[in-house]
Amino acid sequence: MNKQEDVRIGVFVCHCGSNIAGYLNMQALVDYAQTLPKVAFVQANLYTCSEGGINEIKNAIGLQNLNRVVVASCTPRTHEPLFQGACLEAGLNPYLFEMVNIRDQCSWVHMQEKEAATEKAKDLIRMGVAKAGLLRPLESIELSVTPSALVLGGGIAGLTASHSLAKMGFEVVLVEREAELGGLLRSLNRILPSGISASAYLEKIVSEVKQNPMIQIRTSAAVETVQGYVGNFEVAVRSLAGEENFKVGIVVVATGARVFTPEGFYGYDGRRVITHLELEALQKQGRAAVDQAVFIQCVGSRMEGRKYCSRTCCMTAVKNAILIKEANPKARVTILYRDMQMYGIENEELFRKSKQMGVRYINYDPSQPPLVEDTQVRVFHQLLGKEVVLPANLVVLSTPLVAYPDADRISQLLRVPLDVNRFFMEGHVKLKPLDFASDGVFLCGNCRYPATLRETIAQGLGAASRAATLLSKGKMFTSGIVAEINAATCVGCQGCLEVCPYQAIYFDEDKGICFINQVLCKGCGACAATCPSASAQLSGFTTQQLLAEIDKAVAA
Amino acid sequence: MSRDVLVIGGGIAGIQASLDLAEMGLQVHLVEKLPSIGGKMAQLDKTFPTNDCAI
Amino acid sequence: MLDAGRHPRINLLAYSEVEGFSGEAGRFSVTVRKRARYVDETKCTGCGSCAEKCPTEVSDDFNMGLAKRKAIYKHFPQGIPSVFTIDTRYCRQFTGKKCGVCKKTCQAGAVDFEQQDQLLIFEVGAVVIAIGYELFDAERIPEYGYKKMPNVISAMEFERLLSASGPTHGHVERPSDLAAKARLAELAKDLQRTQRVLESYEKKAGLTSAEFFQKYQAREIEGNGDEKAWAEKYLAFQKIQGENELLTQKVAHFAIARKLAFIQCVGSRDFRFHSYCSSYCCMHTIKEAIIAKEHAPQTESTVFAMDLRTVGKGFEEYKLRGASESGIRYIRGRVAEITQDADFHPMVWYEDTKNRQVEHMDADLVILANACVATPGANQLARILGVELDENNFIRTDPLEPLSTNVPGIYTCGCAQGPMDIPESVAQASSAAAKAAEGVLKCS
Repeated sequence: MNKQEDVRIGVFVCHCGSNIAGYLNMQALVDYAQTLPKVAFVQANLYTCSEGGINEIKNAIGLQNLNRVVVASCTPRTHEPLFQGACLEAGLNPYLFEMVNIRDQCSWVHMQEKEAATEKAKDLIRMGVAKAGLLRPLESIELSVTPSALVLGGGIAGLTASHSLAKMGFEVVLVEREAELGGLLRSLNRILPSGISASAYLEKIVSEVKQNPMIQIRTSAAVETVQGYVGNFEVAVRSLAGEENFKVGIVVVATGARVFTPEGFYGYDGRRVITHLELEALQKQGRAAVDQAVFIQCVGSRMEGRKYCSRTCCMTAVKNAILIKEANPKARVTILYRDMQMYGIENEELFRKSKQMGVRYINYDPSQPPLVEDTQVRVFHQLLGKEVVLPANLVVLSTPLVAYPDADRISQLLRVPLDVNRFFMEGHVKLKPLDFASDGVFLCGNCRYPATLRETIAQGLGAASRAATLLSKGKMFTSGIVAEINAATCVGCQGCLEVCPYQAIYFDEDKGICFINQVLCKGCGACAATCPSASAQLSGFTTQQLLAEIDKAVAA
Repeated sequence: MSRDVLVIGGGIAGIQASLDLAEMGLQVHLVEKLPSIGGKMAQLDKTFPTNDCAI
Repeated sequence: MLDAGRHPRINLLAYSEVEGFSGEAGRFSVTVRKRARYVDETKCTGCGSCAEKCPTEVSDDFNMGLAKRKAIYKHFPQGIPSVFTIDTRYCRQFTGKKCGVCKKTCQAGAVDFEQQDQLLIFEVGAVVIAIGYELFDAERIPEYGYKKMPNVISAMEFERLLSASGPTHGHVERPSDLAAKARLAELAKDLQRTQRVLESYEKKAGLTSAEFFQKYQAREIEGNGDEKAWAEKYLAFQKIQGENELLTQKVAHFAIARKLAFIQCVGSRDFRFHSYCSSYCCMHTIKEAIIAKEHAPQTESTVFAMDLRTVGKGFEEYKLRGASESGIRYIRGRVAEITQDADFHPMVWYEDTKNRQVEHMDADLVILANACVATPGANQLARILGVELDENNFIRTDPLEPLSTNVPGIYTCGCAQGPMDIPESVAQASSAAAKAAEGVLKCS
């Protein structure tokens, strides 16, 4: 870059309605920004993210000849791409943009201290402007996208995703760890309210998938390695067919979950005290002649160490209660619950139907859990205020769906995160439920969180759609925020290689130095932080740029 | 035959469907009866459980 | 939102409705009426000068009637498209009175009173219905006093109060207090006006109104037309002044609503109205209580529910956090009745089923989690498209084909087919896109 470049920084200070303006002195910030070195233009916006705000940025870049833009507003997590897009549209390299967070990191956390918060916002803006002055234009790398998908998991989620992708014209490799396709549905009896048998339903969709020429299926299979990056993954799969390599553009994780076995809870023995999975196995075999049953909800869930509600257990219990009553109207079925999670329309309908059929419900508090004895169950009936005794020759425990033990291995294989319960963590729990934060990897079904059959089908389709937005492009662009190593100063200590979580660095034996594969690099900065000779530098976050910020943080 | 898709409703569902379809290379016609898109979600302050802004 | 508005392959037709429809999957013919905004979208910059000058104030639907907007308006500030619209139901120009101020003010020349609706006809291969939902009218439950008691409000009204961009900038003020403040503002205007009239009398007579009135009362002055009017005006002035003083004192003691009572299942899980569960309101309520506490640490919230449905990812943990960090009290009991005292403080009557006690609790504000119901336009649209609705007027889908309707090529997603929360709606939207794409990509 020409060192003589006349840096002209535009600073846009956002009111964010009253999210920022309600807690900081906006005029003071605007005035202050104008005093900063190399600032050529300052403007306040009500909502910089609105169409009007974006247009103002674009206009100012043109009219004021700006070559750097700083927006002091909210979080780059949600809005950086938007502002970068505006710069790009105005003909400015999008990496000459810097975002300063005076909302999440200032106005929102200092709501009662206007003066001090305003001073802090000034500090943050000063730092951002200093860094902006040192930013250099960066380029994205164009990548081709292989128009095929790897789907991990052949349960209903994976089957649905595969089928949809195939119908959209993409090739699919479907990898299933068991010998048969179908996942959890293979073990289930019937689904309500439709009443269909899970196996009959499964048979239909499995045959459709098997017949589709676009889908290659590998059962008793495991993915050994995943190399490459979005658009260009190289996957090694070991199955009965031996070791095979596939080239795919994206990966869909549909590895499901398993039913928790409640060893140590309520005298669980797998014979008289069983899980719903075991009950459904008996029902399938026609061996579930039930006389007096007590179901207990929330066994092993909604407790310390496993806090979540597993979503599908209440409706499963109600379903099985209804099926028992249908088979034997004289059977006594009592469900002991904390909250009946019969959300939505269908579930509430089933709930009502079960009560009409005579299924009884007793509320218990976790501080006074039921007691399972040899021939009966005792429970403190919250609504009656006294203990009741229920004769029971069958006790069925509703247990949560929990992550498979190999979730960790898959998480490492694909470099995607797990949450505290070892379910896969999506990009954003609200707005990106089927995407991972890393590009090119998607998820659906129980591996993300317990889901009903209907929800899983929808999620499978949804993941296919999300994947298709990438696969249909043919090419894509990586981020310009990648690291590079100065060959002249690198001593080949390989410290960077050891800390890189994306295996993006390799050591050249002949030259005795390290190189970064910028396509694999995700811009995390670990190498730059580690390198003892400052040879590894992260573009957009160079040592020079960061030191400038630090300098300005402590002194004006 | 047409490859265009009509999306009726410009709330979060309609917007997401439109974006997915458009990103797949299909032409989308998004029809919304109110003067602007955004639907009910635009009226929300923050959303659970992350407490992020709704807009 | 902005992405959708700017995407080159999305033809955004806002302020429009589907009027006609025929054909079959792969070749549907659609007629869309693009309603006239009376503002040229290509010229309007969204600057807002027109609205500033518009003399007509009406109730703002976006803010659930808690604020006012003008007859020329933007649905909400960040709305896309970022253009204004004239509401011809209220605009003076369109209701036989003279105006045209917006047109005179607009520097872009965007106001066009002659604009016509446009009928657009085009062909599509597939349709996705994403018409969302409406909220149950809580007035149908008279024992809750909604619309009769000012401090019993709906959840969406509460959202607007909580919102930083809402009518109170995020201060949870009681509607009765807001009404009192509005009345005070009115009184200030009346006072000014009346004062001006009195001053004109005072100038003519060379007396203060007080002096005049004393003499008038002591019959020292003849009561002809002018004097009578003056006396009456003076009486009126005193009355306004009195009310003003009382109200000013009252308003000085106003504080934000501190004790909040949230009532779940209003119109839902109710055999009289909708027997289903609206899915998201338990969580929605917990969120509102947590945010309210963030805004004002002295807030105390109580949630009255039957089952607290925390079935999503992170939901149970959020509920627990609500209790431990925001002090929310969860009471298992349905509220039987709400009454109020002379100061508009609601009183909630309920049974705490876990203690088997009938109790009452006074609150500053009661928030009703009203049910998610089918959008009123669903019937008409269903007729036009030939799509079936279920008994709740939501678009009918099959549990094993959750995005498909009875018409091949027409799909649906989100709350149009039944109550669901945002992650589900977003996931379903992608799913419907997949189905639509499968359909159209096949026939090419």
